[in-house]
Amino acid sequence: MRLEVFRLDLGMRRRLLAVYTLGMALYALIIVALYPTFEHSTGLDNLTKNSPTMAALFGASGSITSPAGWLEVNLYANFFPLLVLLATIGYGASSLAGQDEDGTLAMVTTLPIRRRRITVEKSLAMAAQAVVIVSVSTAFIAIGYTFDITVGVADMLGASVGVLLLGIDLGLVALVVGAATGRRGIALGAASALGAISYLVSSLAPVVHWMRPMRFASLFYWSVGNNQLTMGISPSEVAVLVGVALVLVALSVLAFERLDLH
Amino acid sequence: MPDTPPTTQPGPAIETSGLTKVFGGTHAVRDLDLRVEAGEIFGFLGPNGAGKTTTIRLLLDLQHPTAGTARLLGLDAHGDCLVIHRHVGYLPGELSLIGRMRVRDQLDWVARARNLPDTRHARDLAERFDLDLNRRIEELSKGNRQKVGILLAFMHEPELLILDEPTSGLDPLMKDRFEQLLRETAASGRTVFLSSHELDEVQRVADRVGLIKEGRLVRADVVENLRAKAPRTVEISFQDPVDPSVFAIDGVHKVTATGALVTLEVSGPIGPLLQVAAQLHPIDLVTHEASLDQLFLEFYRDSGSDDHAS
Repeated sequence: MRLEVFRLDLGMRRRLLAVYTLGMALYALIIVALYPTFEHSTGLDNLTKNSPTMAALFGASGSITSPAGWLEVNLYANFFPLLVLLATIGYGASSLAGQDEDGTLAMVTTLPIRRRRITVEKSLAMAAQAVVIVSVSTAFIAIGYTFDITVGVADMLGASVGVLLLGIDLGLVALVVGAATGRRGIALGAASALGAISYLVSSLAPVVHWMRPMRFASLFYWSVGNNQLTMGISPSEVAVLVGVALVLVALSVLAFERLDLH
Repeated sequence: MPDTPPTTQPGPAIETSGLTKVFGGTHAVRDLDLRVEAGEIFGFLGPNGAGKTTTIRLLLDLQHPTAGTARLLGLDAHGDCLVIHRHVGYLPGELSLIGRMRVRDQLDWVARARNLPDTRHARDLAERFDLDLNRRIEELSKGNRQKVGILLAFMHEPELLILDEPTSGLDPLMKDRFEQLLRETAASGRTVFLSSHELDEVQRVADRVGLIKEGRLVRADVVENLRAKAPRTVEISFQDPVDPSVFAIDGVHKVTATGALVTLEVSGPIGPLLQVAAQLHPIDLVTHEASLDQLFLEFYRDSGSDDHAS
């Protein structure tokens, strides 16, 4: 299997991916390097200790000046998944729908490559980009061990896996919508809206009673919203996220088979 | 379906039956019955919006028909599209290439995707069309980008070429080289389906022409037959002015007399006209064959929406 579509798409995005990953990694490094400055800030801790709603909005589940709380509030509950989602949703929306709109997809689909293979290779290309961003960022976060950030290694890696799978899932949502509609804008909008709602539900469920049952429908809950940074990611959470990804790939294949291209 | 070379299968290179595509209630292609024989250059003519590009997209399985079927090289356009794409070269009307790539890299990538052993034929064509393979595509002029499209369509020496407005942006010299390439392609037994609104170009290279209007095939015939049925202009000079009413005979549509010069629009056999003219002491007679352009306009003027493909 030569994976020509996979290689082409990654090759075209390699510089963007490198710069993007570096930016995310440097942000992570700055956050962990700042930890000693805020480690003993009781004022900051009181901000969320006295207000569960504020804590929920920040994505904090405990003390935000603890090593896990610091990483959660500044990275894992928001910016880290957000930046991974920007990359995966952006690629998911552009890889089929966007390339159809700009006309380059016709060149690929009139080559002797099956549509289902094009879809699978593009899904793999998206996953590969997410792996690069998440793994390099995680490596930079791990530098935090030299700045008093002492979370369990397995827990942190588990939370990073959660971010990775969340990014892949929502990127695949963009891919499915793009494959079904052929419209990049619709794909971007739908996946971003789903991501935003998913985030809100996951973060507000602990304090908004009627939202509690809805958290199970939130991809954020299964990836970063259920104390994964302190308790690790469970096999069932991984299974849910991987299962969703597989269903979305299957839906993308079906949708792209039916799409009328330009 | 075994992946055997489709050329070994007898029959037409392209055959559609009742091919129809409807977008939101509008028929882009309607009941299209088309047959393109192997080894011919078939000109597919029509104005913008007539359904040429949609027909091509249906043939290549880029779009799915609302009704009807299409077969290419004896194979089903949808079910056997993988094999068909291996043996078909396609040049889209609106060519989009990956701008950041060098031409050489683009060719290499397509060669790998097509499982070609090398890009020798593409390099030969690049030399023939004076195309620099080391340039980035985003740096190329429209004409040079079109040359890249031509290379991509021809590089695997396909059995069937489907070309949508292929000379768009090419200068006259390159158009000439491209027409030569088409003739060589047909001479080697391969088929060319050439969609265009460049009537002169089609007239020069096509064996047969199909005219499409509002998604329907209005006419398909060899260029000579289309011309024979089209009105041509006849100019006759007489010794003295003549009464134009004497030319009110079958086949003569329009008569204009300017002194001793009579200009007539004639279709069908010219014999009855010559018999009348001979009695009036003619001095000279000149005929102007209908150009494909005139013929095209004539068919468009005459064909109503109920016309059927021939």
